[in-house]
Amino acid sequence: MLATAARSSQSHNPWVVCAVAWIVPGGGHLLLGRVGKGVVFLVTLVAMFTTGLLLKGRIFPFELSDPLVPLAAIANMGIGAPYFVARGLGIGVGDVLAVTFEYGNSFAIVAGLLNMLVVLDAYDMARGLK
Amino acid sequence: MTSHVGMMALFAFFVSVVFAVLMHDDPGLQVRAAARMCAGFVVAGLALGWVLLLFPI
Repeated sequence: MLATAARSSQSHNPWVVCAVAWIVPGGGHLLLGRVGKGVVFLVTLVAMFTTGLLLKGRIFPFELSDPLVPLAAIANMGIGAPYFVARGLGIGVGDVLAVTFEYGNSFAIVAGLLNMLVVLDAYDMARGLK
Repeated sequence: MTSHVGMMALFAFFVSVVFAVLMHDDPGLQVRAAARMCAGFVVAGLALGWVLLLFPI
């Protein structure tokens, strides 16, 4: 199985794998033939991001008015397509008066940051380092 | 859901699953690592919560 994964990883450009892994959480692992890991990442990260939105968290826009807002926006963007889908649908405006607002922000932000780690893991696999 | 402990446990679950799957390739090891990490996060969160009682705002 490892030999199959290694052969599969050698046939893919690591940067393409990174792009796919970023756009679709777990997509890089799916592309490399690590279906189990890819499905777990896809389900878990999308569920975490969705939970953040359900908890009335905010999807931060890329604004330079406050130094922490662009950092939160970058972390949010780490989740890839779900970020742009949610913004396109007008979801994630956030309700600052909701008791769960900060929790929602944390879930959405950390989902993006975890997906960045998953992208790095996919990159290592594509380069044959794992 | 508005329970602080419940949300902490849910957060710990998500983070533990991702870390465990990143760390291990074997499904058995992944489940054990996720369970250990999740329990550790929850216990550490509860312990820190009690410690913070000593420092009222």
